[in-house]
Amino acid sequence: MLTLTVNGQLRDVDVPQDMPLLWVLRDHLNLVGTKYGCGIAQCGACTVHVGGRPVRSCQLNVGDVGTRPVVTIEGVGNTPHGAKLQQAWIEGAVPQCGYCQAGQIMSATALLDSNPKPDDSDIDAAMAGNLCRCGTYIRIRRAIKSAADKSA
Amino acid sequence: MKKIVGLGVAAIVVIALGFAGWLLLGRNPMAFAPGATVALQDYKGGNVSGAPAQLANADLVQRGAYLAHAADCQACHTAPGGAPYAGGFAFNMPFGTIYSTNITPDQQTGIGTYSDAQFLAAVHQGIRADGAQLYPAMPYTSYTYMTDADALAIKAYLFTLAPVHAPAKPNQLSWPYNQRRLLALWNVMFNPDARFRPNPSQSPQWNRGAYLAEAMGHCGECHTPRNPAYALDNHRKYAGALTAGWRAYNITSETDSGIGAWNDADLTLYLATGHANGHGGAAGPMGEATDDSLSYLVPDDVHALVTYLRSIPAQASDVPRTVTAPAPASHKQGVGAGADLRGEKMFAGACASCHDWTGVSPVTGYATLTGVRAVNDPSATNVAQTVIHGVNRKTAEGKFFMPAFGEGYSDDDIAAVANYVTARFGAKGAHLTGSDVAALRKQASQLPISHEAPHG
Repeated sequence: MLTLTVNGQLRDVDVPQDMPLLWVLRDHLNLVGTKYGCGIAQCGACTVHVGGRPVRSCQLNVGDVGTRPVVTIEGVGNTPHGAKLQQAWIEGAVPQCGYCQAGQIMSATALLDSNPKPDDSDIDAAMAGNLCRCGTYIRIRRAIKSAADKSA
Repeated sequence: MKKIVGLGVAAIVVIALGFAGWLLLGRNPMAFAPGATVALQDYKGGNVSGAPAQLANADLVQRGAYLAHAADCQACHTAPGGAPYAGGFAFNMPFGTIYSTNITPDQQTGIGTYSDAQFLAAVHQGIRADGAQLYPAMPYTSYTYMTDADALAIKAYLFTLAPVHAPAKPNQLSWPYNQRRLLALWNVMFNPDARFRPNPSQSPQWNRGAYLAEAMGHCGECHTPRNPAYALDNHRKYAGALTAGWRAYNITSETDSGIGAWNDADLTLYLATGHANGHGGAAGPMGEATDDSLSYLVPDDVHALVTYLRSIPAQASDVPRTVTAPAPASHKQGVGAGADLRGEKMFAGACASCHDWTGVSPVTGYATLTGVRAVNDPSATNVAQTVIHGVNRKTAEGKFFMPAFGEGYSDDDIAAVANYVTARFGAKGAHLTGSDVAALRKQASQLPISHEAPHG
């Protein structure tokens, strides 16, 4: 039995140590906002925060999480940058199909947490690993800038 | 005039003999250790050959299985995706391709008809049952140090395998390398054809380690540079070499380019599992050596290997001191002007999510690049190979996976990202070109590309 801190709550899960965190979240904790995309850390759809860092949950064994707190798309709205970004996402009508957007918001939040005023190059460096097959990149960039302005 | 010619000829003969002597002196991998050796039966320091004490009551086949793993027969005698021990693994050499053969007990295509004497001739002398010479891709100049009893225990184990019908693939070698008979001459020079002789002035652990490293694990076949005749040059024992398109690193006790700065715990862990935090993980041929061989060794044997490795004289090589500090968190810092922007873009999209801009992975220590020798190697050989082939190892510690990018990215892309990674996380950036990467792909073409997405 493992105890995880997920979105501020202690959660006990009875799973093998080598199960990817993604499946623990989706199948055992019913937090299905985090999506499965490629399974090899190349698309970013499964991004969550672990210890404040953006991590591809398809590649992180749950046994390696340790005591680091986990935040998912269901909980990121309770953080200052997460809330601002979600608002900016709504105002900018960013998503098209929406499948990648949880991962996009998680990566964007981690970016603002470490760098509240990112320039275009910072946004590229932080977001390049999050693919969007609908091509909403321009709206994503605009929303990140809008949220960063509101953080001033 | 005649006198001058005579002196000239004499000088040439002296130089030739001196060179031959130098080559011969380079063939004994244990000659570096001070102290006289004794025949195995005269050694009083306990068992240095055979299976470990844990298997004292095991039967011949079980002991043979342990020894077959220790000698790592499987890695080379198995083709990617093929039946174990059925051969067909390609050795891409500068002068052509040699294929390993079937050592399952199949009567027609394997070694099912080999007598004990024939098996020993193959293992110790490189002579197969029909009398033809084996190519020294079969490491018989290392296995020659193996005791008869251990070789025959391995044979007993191999004969319990299911026979597989797998005819040998024809080698593709140019003249004169396709003349097997010439190897008789090569063997006179480079195969001592002598069994292991313990060295009583060294500890029993050292002797066990020497037996495991030289007679069984044949570490030198990858880690020792070769002389012009392609035999191991033990003047530069374990100083590192390029083998099958991958760089086998310096494992002498040299501090900067060798393993002198590794502590015993890390070295033991790396040998036993193929990974130690701060040193990265084994990939490519060392990944295979770990998974097929080293991970099967009992802890005492791993410790013996560490004892032996510690005694190898330091040799400097061209890999600079490993950078152990993480790179800056911002992509804008850490690499100087002239950084490969294409490489940076690729790193941002395909690599940073696991490896991080600092090189310290938030996912797993296996993915941390900080402190890893491959990223400190300015040739970037192993970085490029790892990008091409990915990593797909299943170890006792769990799965160890990196996607293979070889089929998705061009040679130029792979060169760019390898140059960027070595510049960002290592001491000195590489300058690979697309054609360098194309050559690396060819040299390592026998390695499978791992398609599997283990969590998919």
